[in-house]
Amino acid sequence: MSATALLQAIVDGVLTGGVYALMAAGLSLVFGVMDVINIAQGVLIVLGAYLSYVLSVHLGIDLFAGLLIIAPLFFVLGMGIEWGLMRRLREGDRTAMSILVTYAVAIVIEGVLTLVFGIDFVQLHAPYVDSSLHIFGFFLPYIYVLGFALAAALLAGLYVMLYRTKFGRAVRASLQNRMAADLVGINVARTRTISMGIGVAVTAVGGMVFGATNAFNPNSGYDLISRLLAIVILGGMGSIGGAMAAAVFLLVLNDVVAVAWSPVWAPLVFFAALVVVLSVKPEGLFGKPPVRAQ
Amino acid sequence: MSALLEVSEVSKSFGGVHALAGCELEVAEGSITGLIGPNGSGKTTLFNVVTGYERANGGEVRLNGASIRNASPGRVFRLGVGRTFQLTRIFARLTVAENVLVATQRHEGWLRGVMRGAGSSSERRRAYELLEFVGIAHLAGEPAGSLSYGQRKLLEFASLLVADPTVLLLDEPAGGVNPTLINQLADRIRELNRAGKTFLVVEHNMEFVMGLCDTVTVLDQGRTLMSGAPEDVRSHAGVLDAYLGAGESGESRPEASARSRVAITGEPADDPRPAAADALLELRGVTAGYGGGDILKDVTFEVPAGAITCVVGPNGAGKSTMLKAVSGLLHPRLGEIRFRGERTSGMTPGEVLARGISHVPQAHSLFADMTVAENVEMGAYTVDDKAVARARLREVEELFPIVRDRADHKAGALSGGQQRLVELARCLMLDPTLIILDEPSMGLDPQARATVFEMVAVMNRQGRTILLVEQNVRAGLELSSTAVVLENGRVRLTGTGREVLDHPEIGALYLGGAIEAADR
Amino acid sequence: MSVRPSTAARPWRALQAAGIAAAVLVLGVFPLVVSDPTLMSIAVFTLIFMVAATAWNAFSGFSGYLALGHAVFFGTGGYAVALAARDWHFKGGWDVFALLPVGGVVAGLAAIPIGLVALRTRRHTFVVVTIAIFFIFQLAAFNLPLTGGTAGIQLPTPLWSADTFNRPFFYVTAIILVLTVLAVWGIRRSRFGLQLLAIRDDEDRARGLGVETGRVKLAAFVFSAIPVGMVGGMNVYFIGQIFPQFAFDPLFDISIALMAFLGGLGTLAGPLIGALVLESLQQYLTQTFSAGGVYLVAYGVLFLAVILLLPRGVVPSVAELLASRRMRASERRRSGGAGVSGVAEPAP
Repeated sequence: MSATALLQAIVDGVLTGGVYALMAAGLSLVFGVMDVINIAQGVLIVLGAYLSYVLSVHLGIDLFAGLLIIAPLFFVLGMGIEWGLMRRLREGDRTAMSILVTYAVAIVIEGVLTLVFGIDFVQLHAPYVDSSLHIFGFFLPYIYVLGFALAAALLAGLYVMLYRTKFGRAVRASLQNRMAADLVGINVARTRTISMGIGVAVTAVGGMVFGATNAFNPNSGYDLISRLLAIVILGGMGSIGGAMAAAVFLLVLNDVVAVAWSPVWAPLVFFAALVVVLSVKPEGLFGKPPVRAQ
Repeated sequence: MSALLEVSEVSKSFGGVHALAGCELEVAEGSITGLIGPNGSGKTTLFNVVTGYERANGGEVRLNGASIRNASPGRVFRLGVGRTFQLTRIFARLTVAENVLVATQRHEGWLRGVMRGAGSSSERRRAYELLEFVGIAHLAGEPAGSLSYGQRKLLEFASLLVADPTVLLLDEPAGGVNPTLINQLADRIRELNRAGKTFLVVEHNMEFVMGLCDTVTVLDQGRTLMSGAPEDVRSHAGVLDAYLGAGESGESRPEASARSRVAITGEPADDPRPAAADALLELRGVTAGYGGGDILKDVTFEVPAGAITCVVGPNGAGKSTMLKAVSGLLHPRLGEIRFRGERTSGMTPGEVLARGISHVPQAHSLFADMTVAENVEMGAYTVDDKAVARARLREVEELFPIVRDRADHKAGALSGGQQRLVELARCLMLDPTLIILDEPSMGLDPQARATVFEMVAVMNRQGRTILLVEQNVRAGLELSSTAVVLENGRVRLTGTGREVLDHPEIGALYLGGAIEAADR
Repeated sequence: MSVRPSTAARPWRALQAAGIAAAVLVLGVFPLVVSDPTLMSIAVFTLIFMVAATAWNAFSGFSGYLALGHAVFFGTGGYAVALAARDWHFKGGWDVFALLPVGGVVAGLAAIPIGLVALRTRRHTFVVVTIAIFFIFQLAAFNLPLTGGTAGIQLPTPLWSADTFNRPFFYVTAIILVLTVLAVWGIRRSRFGLQLLAIRDDEDRARGLGVETGRVKLAAFVFSAIPVGMVGGMNVYFIGQIFPQFAFDPLFDISIALMAFLGGLGTLAGPLIGALVLESLQQYLTQTFSAGGVYLVAYGVLFLAVILLLPRGVVPSVAELLASRRMRASERRRSGGAGVSGVAEPAP
């Protein structure tokens, strides 16, 4: 394996890592604000890919342009899931229950996709999907570069939203002290709903990029969610920055192993790294260490 | 008597905050030692360090001469040191008896545990004896979660005793407990002490500490200020300055000393308000609860405009529930609440806030990771005009300089008293007509308490009506002109502060008598 | 002096005793009465899931740590039995049943390193870690030559007559079920069980009281893997072959959790009832719709309905109903001479 091949793998890893970072950030945000772990994130990405597919193949709409339709749709979907399901969970074991509820939602969505599209694999196509930027001897597929750029822009937007807007302050306040947030007049319920909407809307972008770079079918959601969970655990649950760093790290590792050893084993090392880090630092790289007693 | 527990030069920091800085403590074997100090002086941190819940940054902790510094909580427990927590912790879904049995696991490995029943007959007998000792044996089969606050404290205490510890560290054992139970608790402690157990007790309840302990150590800002017999500590000038605030006359009559500790600058409380004062807030037939059952039952009373009204009553009476009903955190099942004639029961907290009612809840309600300035600004969250919000902030800063002084500090790093002041500042941001305060002085040392009450009086003089719930009943009633007594969700008595204070039965039951100093 | 809740009064106890007697009777007599092979096959699967759900509940229900990766043990046990039968040249018949403990032991051994890693994390991270570990195993099963890859492994077919073919499977699984239930019941009553429950309510405090929480959790985790491994082997033998897809099936994890939730998490009878109801339903759905999209949708919706509408499960709800009825009865008896507090209410 040559140095160029290795570097290429690293570059690929960074680019795809950026997109995964966006989707993982969505997961982390939802967990941080609502204590909800959205297992359906994986299958939602697949749903996004299918919607992009429908728009591009049946309506001839460009993949990126299609996002302008799909992302708002997903935003509404996310709000709907929160309003219809999450709200009914009791405060006590909210997180554990949310895992079960979202797992169920994932199954339902997978079922619907199977009914509508069948189990054959499909992939998204566009002129820029199949061609690359040629720089310094490296091939940077356009789709990766554009996807990465979009992801980076959205992540920056997320940061700005949280720390510079009024809504962002409401989000952080609801996260830190729910009763106080209620008492200063924040509509905590609405804040949570919108946060979930955002968390799901980002999967639209991820879905499009994923669909363009992988063949997928309704079953693909499992692989995705397991990677996203690994990323979010590694980075530390609730830490958006941690999720981003972990995403890039793990994807780079994944791609390097694929090149250096075998593509079949690449995902396995992905998880093995997770297990190793957890054995040493159970709260993840950037998570808060468990607080003992009072 | 030799020192059973020795703490020398212990220091512990959390980021930039030095919770303990060269702390010294000696607990003599067979003694009951008290540990007092202003809020933020490091008492609970010291407990955590001694029992292994926190790691010390420096210094040494010795038990019977052997170092236990940085030992795990389980190990410390096995060595014979037991502790209770400030916020009572029990196993809610286990029965009361099972709670006590869990602690009997000390000397056995888990593998044998699979073979044996939950408790041998001798262990069960002992568990029952201990429950009898603290007086809750009749509840042995009930799930622990159904116990009242005071009963939970007793259960926690009994669970501790199962392991037969040599040293017991009690963190605010009397906090939030009904006055009659406090006496019971003190008796039990004395009994155990006579049987040879050593105690280290943290408390804010001065009568409790002074009446019970043979030695008292005073902490201030993470350092030991002094240590000695209660009378000596009481009269030590340094202690008085740092801690007791206003001069302590040293009288044995607790009512008198309580009054002298609180600086009242408002109108004298025993002036009955003119009967013609308009009712700003009215509650009529309010019945409310949290889904399980009704906590408030047909509550009816009025809060006169411009006055300070105090609600008192034993634990579980429904005081906090009532405040939540007023501010919209809870909707009454029956009855209605009217503010300035408008029906507010059923509104959201945001709508109630907009009408001019501001609520400072019992628990800490600051946003811990935001700065003090950000927290206070959040008080004006619903105001869109930034200029108006900023102007208001300046006004509030005048009244509460701490907001300006500690503007950039993370709110979570402030001491309890300071946080309370910031909470009061925040609630003023929308210029409220009615301020609801739920136990503003809870967990604060006498000096911070005096400051808080002073600010309450100041806010009242600005023309705001105050509705106050206070566990520190004497101080609360001193401050207010109208009082309401709540018991079991019903209004038992209303009147002026003086009337309620002087009512014979109320006085005995709700204000509690002093702990009689034991004859030594 | 009893430590059981005082609300466990006679009507409830009588119901319990009657239920147990009836259940044992049914177990013994069922195969002799029923001859329809489809029904028998459903029964065997139901028993398998009853064992799995009960074992899972012994860990997750008692400790409060939801493990969503037990399919790992189901599949590992299955592979252990399949490989042993193939490599040790078993002929097929009663002798293969002797391999079931092997499946259980292998699953238990696998649970040790998994538990050591996963149990270091907090509760909700733990759930996610078990899911992640499950996917690793799934991936490994697809790719390792050891497992025969996607072609799978065939098991020897026992030479029993067609009419009574299912009976041995039924009885052996029933025996495993009885043993598992007894073991879990024993744990519940033991000191070990008490420690687990204490961990569920307040782990830090339990640790502070001297409970060795790490070891207790790991022991419970490993214990829960063993019966699951055994019935994993049974499952594979019954079907006759093993593929990675259904050896490591995420729906298995969800199913046993759902069964325990439906019946009542942390109770003894709960998982049994839940498995009985759900597995029958699951089999019906498979027969009617086959494992396609509709099946998934129906299952997911059912799951949502249970979680949202019956969050406590059947068994606790029934117990509560009986308890509240008794309480209301005694309250009515007491309300005859209700005294009022003696404090006078002076006029303001």
